[in-house]
Amino acid sequence: MPSCKDITEHSSDYLDHNLPWWKRMGYWLHLAMCVHCRRYLDQLKLTIDTIGKSPDATTPNVSPEEIQAIVEKMKQSTKKQE
Amino acid sequence: MAHPTLPSDDELIPRLLANDETSYAQVVAAYHGLMVHLARAIVGEAIADEVAQEAWVAVLRALPKFERRSSLKTWILRIVSNTAKSRLRHESRTVSLDESLEESPIIDPARLKPNAHWASPPAMWHADTPDALLASAELRCCISDALATLPPLQRAAVTLRDMQGLSMEAICKILEVSESNGRVLLHRARSRIQMAIEEHEGQ
Ligand SMILES: [Zn+2]
Repeated sequence: MPSCKDITEHSSDYLDHNLPWWKRMGYWLHLAMCVHCRRYLDQLKLTIDTIGKSPDATTPNVSPEEIQAIVEKMKQSTKKQE
Repeated sequence: MAHPTLPSDDELIPRLLANDETSYAQVVAAYHGLMVHLARAIVGEAIADEVAQEAWVAVLRALPKFERRSSLKTWILRIVSNTAKSRLRHESRTVSLDESLEESPIIDPARLKPNAHWASPPAMWHADTPDALLASAELRCCISDALATLPPLQRAAVTLRDMQGLSMEAICKILEVSESNGRVLLHRARSRIQMAIEEHEGQ
């Protein structure tokens, strides 16, 4: 049976379904009995969802002018090679 | 994995190799924002755009030798990651990219009993949805600061996985780390953010 420390060390693997079945069983057993680790895991899940919705998660915007400028750069770089 | 508005890699790659300007514009429109996002995670905001632009030139140069062992998107992002990493090494020799492998524990040992069970367990948080958490400007700031102080590869892993939704397999190829190291990077990053939220919420 894993300790609380073991639970916290591998909780991303547990949430991402990346543990072998016997470790998963250990997780279930521990979580069935440990209210603290259940809370820890719920908070990790909430953290992951919050990261995904945080302002830092927004993909930087690229204007048509920027796209054009980069395309020009790319054209020049291939000309230099020829 | 591929971008919804892009033609398939099979169609796109020959056109890029033929220096087709429309295809250039298509891939730049599809991927440049994501490239800047990744570059920011590794080298920071100030030179992220420069790094992403530099990566495009490198992409064109390397494209004839692209062996198609991954998608075009993954391969382009790997070039961004490598460009960013070499910039980082160049600019600040002291920064260790491998900080992920340091053996610091996920949970402060002071919070655990000698038998490795909780002595000081997590407290309830005031908010229980992302929107409720992010409604606090102060907490948004805490999260942002915690992200900013992550080691570069941890920040890259969390950006690609939890913000951009890429697969772990793609992320490990992009960052050139093993599957298990990629998972460690991601979990350490998430845990540090969790601790930042807990400091704010758990009182
Ligand atoms: Zn426990």
